[in-house]
Amino acid sequence: MSVATIENPLRAGLRMERTAEPCTVVIFGASGDLTKRKLVPALYRLVQERLVPAEFGIVGVARSPMSNEEFRTKMKDAIVQFSEAKRVDDEVWNSFAQGLYYLPVDIGTADDYRKLSELLDQIDRERGTQGNRVFYLSTSPTLYAEAVKQLGEAGLAKAKDKGWVRVIIEKPFGTDLQSAQELNQHIHQYLDESQIYRIDHYLGKETVQNLLVFRFANGIYEPLWNRQYIDHVQLTNAETVGVEGRGGYYEKAGVVRDMLQNHVFQVLSLVAMEPPASLNSEAVRDEKIKAMTAVRPFTPERVRNECVRGQYGAGSIAGKPVPGYREEEGVAPDSATETYSMLTMYFDNWRWSGVPFYIRSGKRLAKRVTEIAIQFKDAPHKLFGADMMEQMTPNQLIIRVQPDEGITMRVAAKVPGQVTRIRDVNMDFRYGASFGVQLAEAYERLLLDCILGDPTLYARTDMTERGWEIVMPVLAEWARTKAEAPFPNYEAGSWGPQASHELLEQHGRRWRRP
Amino acid sequence: METQTHEIAAGSAAKGIDVGKLEKELAAMWQPSEDAEGKPAESGVTRVCVLNLVVYAAHHEDRAEIDALLDEVSEQTPSRALILIADREAESGKLEAYVSTRCQASGKGAKQVCGEQVTIEASGPVLESVSSAIEPLLVPDVPVFLWWKDIPHYDDKLFNRLAGMADRIVIDSLAFDHPHSDLLRLAEILRDQPQFMRVSDLNWGRLTSWRSLLASFWDVADYRPHLEKISSVVVEYDPPDVAPDEIAPQASLMLGWLASRLGWEVEPGGVARREGNAIHIRLSVGGQPLEVEFRARDDRQGSDGLIASVTLTAGDGDAEFYVAVNQEWTKLETAARVGDMRAIDRVVSYEQKTEGQRLSRELSLTMRDRIYESTIATAAGMLQAITRS
Repeated sequence: MSVATIENPLRAGLRMERTAEPCTVVIFGASGDLTKRKLVPALYRLVQERLVPAEFGIVGVARSPMSNEEFRTKMKDAIVQFSEAKRVDDEVWNSFAQGLYYLPVDIGTADDYRKLSELLDQIDRERGTQGNRVFYLSTSPTLYAEAVKQLGEAGLAKAKDKGWVRVIIEKPFGTDLQSAQELNQHIHQYLDESQIYRIDHYLGKETVQNLLVFRFANGIYEPLWNRQYIDHVQLTNAETVGVEGRGGYYEKAGVVRDMLQNHVFQVLSLVAMEPPASLNSEAVRDEKIKAMTAVRPFTPERVRNECVRGQYGAGSIAGKPVPGYREEEGVAPDSATETYSMLTMYFDNWRWSGVPFYIRSGKRLAKRVTEIAIQFKDAPHKLFGADMMEQMTPNQLIIRVQPDEGITMRVAAKVPGQVTRIRDVNMDFRYGASFGVQLAEAYERLLLDCILGDPTLYARTDMTERGWEIVMPVLAEWARTKAEAPFPNYEAGSWGPQASHELLEQHGRRWRRP
Repeated sequence: METQTHEIAAGSAAKGIDVGKLEKELAAMWQPSEDAEGKPAESGVTRVCVLNLVVYAAHHEDRAEIDALLDEVSEQTPSRALILIADREAESGKLEAYVSTRCQASGKGAKQVCGEQVTIEASGPVLESVSSAIEPLLVPDVPVFLWWKDIPHYDDKLFNRLAGMADRIVIDSLAFDHPHSDLLRLAEILRDQPQFMRVSDLNWGRLTSWRSLLASFWDVADYRPHLEKISSVVVEYDPPDVAPDEIAPQASLMLGWLASRLGWEVEPGGVARREGNAIHIRLSVGGQPLEVEFRARDDRQGSDGLIASVTLTAGDGDAEFYVAVNQEWTKLETAARVGDMRAIDRVVSYEQKTEGQRLSRELSLTMRDRIYESTIATAAGMLQAITRS
């Protein structure tokens, strides 16, 4: 991962990790939830942590008319409500707020971009931001193309002098392969790929980043990380929440578009990839796409036999009754949208040939958890007797992404006593226990990376399109057989449809209870 | 934080410490607690040890303070702490040991994460050999930190033995009672005795925010040319009560850091002069003179030995860069003024870390800190010029 300010002799040896160049961050969709919950609190914290210089500005743009002062007040309230600080010192806030601006912009109106350009020039003069810009598109996805076009036509997509321009695009990136390709083609008319930062906040999570360290900084795991020793991999991405008032969006999306083809595939690619030649962003992303290119395509037959879809009915979460998906606001009473999906994936390459990767993602499951479980093969010889060994589960390595980030290795050990009895024990590494530090918010990390010009943790064109390529046959087959979907087929608060458990049993395996 | 202490007779001046007994006692303390029916509770404890921390304290009264501080440290850094309370004044030999665990639960039913502690109280002739009781108690394969909670006695046999076991030594130059001579001595040790080279100075850690803010001025490319034209530096500090006429070690460290990073040199035969509360010394950079002023400001409460502001001026006042802490010690203010062109001010929170948090921070560092070493060497050069004058 690149970047630094080597030529500043005072920077050497400083315990602060990295600092950034002066710049202005422009947030499109500034009246939205993400801005107040995540983006502005993350930027405030970056300023407080002194990870961005004083020469820094933030411009919120949205359609609704609002003055700078009104925007500042809203953002101050948001920081109090959504950041850990819970209180904001007036003097510190005023210093931060001096660099906070708001401009009403209609995404499709060229004249508004001229005003934006003028405001940015003014901020450059007043705050020394040197023409460096980050445009963060946090609007409705349907507006991404128009926003980029308008930025391009207003001359805002190209850097002036020695400055730079970067554009962060929120997910979802397209709604299917065709729309993702069209969006990529469209934005490439105005932006180089090096300027585009497709954000996937899962990649900002500490444990996801730790996957690279865990795999490639330790000598002992990599020799085992292949078909010789691994029986299968389970990747669970479970949420306890329902659609949370986003029924209208979710009806069109479903879990595959919402979670699987972006977040889950990003994590999966880090598990399956080959060691990169360096930590250079392109080297890492090259290996990720190489792994995903080896994913065996889904045929209709494979979708029928190796994938499971589900939709939750009424049930209870943590003792509280919750409605079924079809009872949620904005959801059709006969909806066939999947809220759970499970795919059996294979990487047809030298390392993983024949090793199934069972991927499941769903809403209203028993527990909020994202984890990767690597199940190793059985010991080759039942030295301690078949009966004893049958009680044993094979070794597992569990990488928990959230919550309670950490890594657990399950091994067999002798129970103390005169006879030989064997029991599973866990060797636990918990981030909280070993480091005792508050993990940085994913958006903080990703925003800073973008300001620093490091795209390693952002998705490249080929990766977004490959994600869609993989899931399109699944979505097509499920759309074709929509009427046959036996929905609802799992109770809220359970571990998903029975069919997904049966499928693993047919393979002689079973889902781990996370 | 829950602390469980077992006081066991595992040592005597005559027989030394029974290391096996202490280990056995500690192992017993790791047994999971029992539930209401007397069965081992499923939530149990997670024994975690990421380092050994050997703490030396010269007074029995320090024990309560160290215990409280380690409560905080073990939240962030589960470790085996070996506390040595050394009573150097006592004539009779004494050797006693206690074991205890420190546990924190992350939630109801969650596993408790625990670190452990062995406290050894020793006095009189026993101090000659007590280090041999500490060595076998060190957990293998994790680093050893020695926190010398006193002025380091570099010629002291016990210090040398404990330092010999340690991968890193933690000191606090804020506590130097002879700031000039103690710092000169430290520079000598760092230069001559490479076995002591990995030093963590809590006072250096206190400067991190300052250094970071000062450095950030020159992350901005527009300002960088001014860095080579710095012509004067003023460091304001609260003089240490124990030596009000001497420059506080923190101020020396600040200047030492700037000078070593920017190639400022004490002019051969450099002369310092004192004017009221200020000490002036002339340095040079690239053949150009550079005026340094250490200005004592005894107008604040609770800031003994700490710096209050740093101002760097470039050329004939073409540019000025300023960092200061406010009167309440809660905020840092920065200002960069470049001619008439631009003035950028900023106020950020000054995160007041507790001593426990500072110590934890130092315990996360294992690399040799060459920037600190060259800072000390350069600061010592300046202090030599000052003491000569």
